[in-house]
Amino acid sequence: MTADEIRRRLSALRRAGFALRRRPAPLTLDALARVMDGWSDADSAWRAALERDLPQATGFAPETVREGLRIALESWDGAALRRLVADELGAPDTVVGPDATAVLLAGSIPMPTLLALVAPLVLRSPVLAKPGSRDPVTAHHVARSIAEVDPLLGACIAVVDVPGDDEAAIGALLEAECIAATGSDETIASIARRVPPGRRLVAAGHRLSVAVLGEEASHGEPLRRACEGLALDVALWDQQGCLSPIAVYPLGAGAGDRVLEALADALADAEARWPRGRVDVAAAAAIEHERASAELRRASGRPVAIRSGEAWTAVLEEHPTPRPAPLHRFVRVHPLPDADALAAAFTPLSPHLAGVAVAGFGRHEAQMRRALAGLGASRVCSPGRLQAPPLDWRREGRGVLEPLVG
Amino acid sequence: MSADPARAELDERLLAWMREPGWPEDEARFAQTALDLFAFQFSHCEPYRRFCEGRGAVPDALRDWREIPPVPTGAFKELALTSFPLARAVRVFRTSGTSSRARGELHLDTLALYEASLLPSFRRFLLPDLAPGERAHIVALAPSGADAGDSSLSHMFQVAMRELGDPESFFAVRAGELQAQPLIEHLAACESEGPPLLLCGAAFAFVHLLEVLEASGVSLSLPRRVRVMETGGFKGRARERTRDELYEEIQARLGVPATRIVNQYGMTELGSQFYDSNLVQPDAPRRKQGPPWARVRVIDPRSGEPAEVGALHVFDLANAGSVLAIQTADLGRDLGDGFEVIGREPGAEARGCSIAIDELLGGRG
Repeated sequence: MTADEIRRRLSALRRAGFALRRRPAPLTLDALARVMDGWSDADSAWRAALERDLPQATGFAPETVREGLRIALESWDGAALRRLVADELGAPDTVVGPDATAVLLAGSIPMPTLLALVAPLVLRSPVLAKPGSRDPVTAHHVARSIAEVDPLLGACIAVVDVPGDDEAAIGALLEAECIAATGSDETIASIARRVPPGRRLVAAGHRLSVAVLGEEASHGEPLRRACEGLALDVALWDQQGCLSPIAVYPLGAGAGDRVLEALADALADAEARWPRGRVDVAAAAAIEHERASAELRRASGRPVAIRSGEAWTAVLEEHPTPRPAPLHRFVRVHPLPDADALAAAFTPLSPHLAGVAVAGFGRHEAQMRRALAGLGASRVCSPGRLQAPPLDWRREGRGVLEPLVG
Repeated sequence: MSADPARAELDERLLAWMREPGWPEDEARFAQTALDLFAFQFSHCEPYRRFCEGRGAVPDALRDWREIPPVPTGAFKELALTSFPLARAVRVFRTSGTSSRARGELHLDTLALYEASLLPSFRRFLLPDLAPGERAHIVALAPSGADAGDSSLSHMFQVAMRELGDPESFFAVRAGELQAQPLIEHLAACESEGPPLLLCGAAFAFVHLLEVLEASGVSLSLPRRVRVMETGGFKGRARERTRDELYEEIQARLGVPATRIVNQYGMTELGSQFYDSNLVQPDAPRRKQGPPWARVRVIDPRSGEPAEVGALHVFDLANAGSVLAIQTADLGRDLGDGFEVIGREPGAEARGCSIAIDELLGGRG
């Protein structure tokens, strides 16, 4: 699609947006709530179609896609959308969004795409979306579902398949009144440099998640259950999401070895139920590089241990210092002596933190959750629930709708 | 020369090979020397021995040098991988980096192999037109070895100037600063009928020079026998560029066409270097080649088998004092009698919305 075609599409969307804003806002919210109900319904035709197309497009295993969508979308229904609007806007007609919003998608996980496309429409701002190269299908499915429920809303969303290196086309996209973009720090900085003056940029950078296990979750059945949950959090979306834990911090003497063993067992079980998807050469090289590095550290006499299967790796590290995360089910275990060591261990992570799974603190759990939130986590939950954030999750501490209108 | 008789014998064999005239390709000699050197390193580098044992690779069981387990370059940031007592180290080369990041270290107990290995490649790929007895005018956009004792690149340029350069060859970085204006004046005065002129340095040093030229509105037209060698990346510099963009700017500001610009693929962890083939084989597609005592394999990490595109594994006999088999962090394409580097391990965009922790760590390298 050429830059001029994108400009024409933007103009058509703005015209459709004018009609949308003349319609009472509650009707639009009703329609979008029906859209969310449809996506939340595990038996809907939309879900079936996405479950059919996503594995081929993204490389995720069908079992992983099915379970990932089930867990994530079960609470993302129309009622949740209405609560979100009430919490952030008060009433649906109080705020009107920009004349048009360009949504530049990245990554391969479908839920952020769904929310990124619906949010501007809640504000009655038409959407021009560019899918990321890793998931060329979800945006199209969502756009079709919206058009199916409400033709007027359908006229307010368009998905354009534009290569990321087509500078002219991307430049035309950036002429929208608001740009919502996801990507690496580098990508966001590059987009920010190109956004014309007077345009709003709502950026979501890369984030990471981890887990903290207290001493009560470092033995026996509580340990097994915690690791089972963490293995699910890791397996879903093959650790590609900002809510995928890349490291576990067990507290207490000897906990590291026990957690490594239990986590290894759980990752092996998870692989049997939700197989890892496609891994490209570059990712496989990174995994092999990090495995070999860990083997060498162990060979040099350092207290490093490795457990691995064909499709997963767990490494017990000597220090809490962050190390490269090759993802695709590669988890590091960084033992800490006690909770007092957490703050120092989290210092380098805090600016990038999204979620923390926490277990094993008994009656001190609420206190620990508050402490972790204070260290930067915008989602603190139990193991196994990281991949199921509520619709109104305040990622990076900000709302879903508010940033689009300032 | 090493105090260890076995190592001394290996070094002698290697030095003899490296000093032979011509370009003595010898697969059988490479294969045997690699296995002998592996056996030596297996018995003298304790971490490497345990690493190999963990992979079931012991000298008596290996029949082919391709089975020698490569260590990842990242390991050089954490371990002193030497096949000699560390106290005997005479020089340490370190990877570039900031104080906030660990730097890789290559410990050497002799510089003889390093120097003997670099010269034939340097001459073949950068100065193939050097007449017998002729010396090149080498201008290094780098600090001297005296100013940057832990820089393998500076040491390489120093040895090249000593062995192949004319008396006027010089380093253009002093006290950590590229002396751009004197350099530009010097280049402008270079005569067209003079000796071969080699401008060499890190890619980001060329970026700096080009920015000064652009700011002052100066474009040079360097002599007919000029060539440029650049190496390394641009990450973290004021403005990142693609290699094609750099070459276009070099052509525009220095008057050196891309056909006369050679990229060197080297790393601190290696004793040998690889160069683009465009000066020595101008009519063939550009690809990287190295000396007869080094091999590159392109390996699909999913299968461990050779592939058209995969991880670059280097087997370098000049690494006698450390480990000869290195698993780099780079991906490459096998081009038959050479290879192409196609980038580093996963780009951030391949990682969904999960942070590339490299961003957090300030980049890999």
